[in-house]
Amino acid sequence: MKRSLLTLMRCDSTQGTMRRMNILLAVPVVLGSAGCVQVSAPEKPIEINLNINIRQEVVVRLQQDVRDLIKENPGVF
Amino acid sequence: MSRRMKLILAAGIGLGAMLGTTTAYAMLQDASAQLRASGQVGEQADGYLGLVGSAPAGVRSQVDSVNIKRRAYYTDLAAKRGAKIEEVAATTACELFRTKVGAGQYYRLPDGVWRQRDGGTPIPLPSYCG
Repeated sequence: MKRSLLTLMRCDSTQGTMRRMNILLAVPVVLGSAGCVQVSAPEKPIEINLNINIRQEVVVRLQQDVRDLIKENPGVF
Repeated sequence: MSRRMKLILAAGIGLGAMLGTTTAYAMLQDASAQLRASGQVGEQADGYLGLVGSAPAGVRSQVDSVNIKRRAYYTDLAAKRGAKIEEVAATTACELFRTKVGAGQYYRLPDGVWRQRDGGTPIPLPSYCG
């Protein structure tokens, strides 16, 4: 009886340490992923349609924004 | 395990996680340039990357990943400027044809044919590119 109680106590203390360890391990993982840019997938699948019907004035209007977009996201463009 | 050892272990794991993030970020820096340079992937007139032939699954998943991000940026800019997503995407394609497709790399105009860019000459742009 005395022995089993001791074993129980030892087991408990190990679990407590493990729990604290888990918390210690979780903190840097959370910190590490906080710096990532999260981009979620769109709901609709991407349709590849090369039949483009676009007016030149629209292109001219969007041109500067698009240039900035490309410059700011070198991995994507 | 002593408290000190646990702290050292946690710090090491934290540092590892940060280094991993930095490496992944550095790889992302020129993901689409590397894909274009591989010859397996080209720029399309619709503003997305496309597979030139049958590419391995790894390349396909990288292309999908880039295209999903592009779609998100196009959607965002289209909403900001009151334009259609396709209009933003096609305008981007005009710009990418001008500035990002290098000699020997592939592009696809609205006619759907994959062509390889010649060294000296610029890509013949669709008329709407201006």
